Amino acid sequence: MSEIELIPVGTRILTDKDNIVDIIVKYAEQNAGPNDVVTVAESVVAITQGRLTRPEDLKVSFLARILCRFIPQEGSLSSCYGMQSAMDAEGQLRILFALLLGMVAKLFGKNGVFYQLAGEQAPLVDDVTGTMPPFDKCLVYGPFDPNGVAAEIKRRLGCYGAAVADVNDLKRAAVLGVSAGLDAQKLAHILIDNPFGNASQRTPIVIIKNYAQEEKRATGQA
Amino acid sequence: MEFLMIVIILALVVIIGVWLYIARQGDADFEFIVGQRTDFILEDLTDKTATFSCKVPFINKGSQGGTIMDAYPRHLLPHEQFDGVDVSSRMELSTAPRTDNYFESVIIPQGTGGTVIITVTFTAKAGGIREALGQMAELTVDMAIDIVYQIVARSLWYIHKARMVMTCDEIMRAMQAKGTAESEES
Repeated sequence: MSEIELIPVGTRILTDKDNIVDIIVKYAEQNAGPNDVVTVAESVVAITQGRLTRPEDLKVSFLARILCRFIPQEGSLSSCYGMQSAMDAEGQLRILFALLLGMVAKLFGKNGVFYQLAGEQAPLVDDVTGTMPPFDKCLVYGPFDPNGVAAEIKRRLGCYGAAVADVNDLKRAAVLGVSAGLDAQKLAHILIDNPFGNASQRTPIVIIKNYAQEEKRATGQA
Repeated sequence: MEFLMIVIILALVVIIGVWLYIARQGDADFEFIVGQRTDFILEDLTDKTATFSCKVPFINKGSQGGTIMDAYPRHLLPHEQFDGVDVSSRMELSTAPRTDNYFESVIIPQGTGGTVIITVTFTAKAGGIREALGQMAELTVDMAIDIVYQIVARSLWYIHKARMVMTCDEIMRAMQAKGTAESEES
């Protein structure tokens, strides 16, 4: 009986000259079968979509310089550039009110409210150092239309499904976009150990082998 | 009127509170401690080239973590001062060695630091490198090297320079040390 197996797939360094779906077809087609799910790292999708900027190119507002001070320094929004990127993506007022409400919620012992209210891009901004060279000197936003990207990967590869995932070494995994019928939370659980590796490993694609059989078995259809 | 005064006073309290919070929080503060660098040593010698390296410690002595976004050595040897050699230089983290002169951005938590390795290569424009460096020493030519580094932390990014001087005496000492070591080996 086949079990789930995670296969990282290496690529060359990808840039905004690349089409992520074409790249996945090129590097993963021979290993991805009809029972497999193909996942791709969200920051690489964003880079190929040109969703990145240099700190030097950002015009930082006074409000961003103040608000970043209230983010713990481990967070990407703790620099005024990370905060400005989030403001540019989600709007100044939204970030301001999310932060104020987040502070109030924290007083009552509830964490994470800021990121719940700040919009989907706020937690996805990667500050400088967040990605591998030559993008380590850039801020990278979250990808555009991750569900659409996943659907297109599935269509082109003919695999069981596809997903765009945000995973790190701190045991945090979120699946931002999936092709129809896939359970994002289940995929996040499978990817929790970060099979993409750290940035220098250049493996932005992970194939989840035998996912379909495992799902059928779990639902008693096998 | 009384309500307006209360609003103004509250606003002032908030502004002062935020200002105090930010002032107390502080920011990253980096220093490349050129006074504690090691002497240059001769790494490689050919007929035409001589390559030296030294280590320079740095520290984030601020109260917040910060990122060295970029850093590189800028050697300063104008031809008006000495025209016998071409110079190239590069810098790398001792913990992340690489030879492409690309400095990968690195986060340095507050109160910690590291070491960079600066590598300088002299290439003789004519004749041999030993003669060229000998002439440099005869003319007592010292070469300044600025460590240029770009920092981003809580505040706006900035670029600083820390200057060190690679003296001709140091170059000669490194050449002699290598020669002595080689003769002892043989």
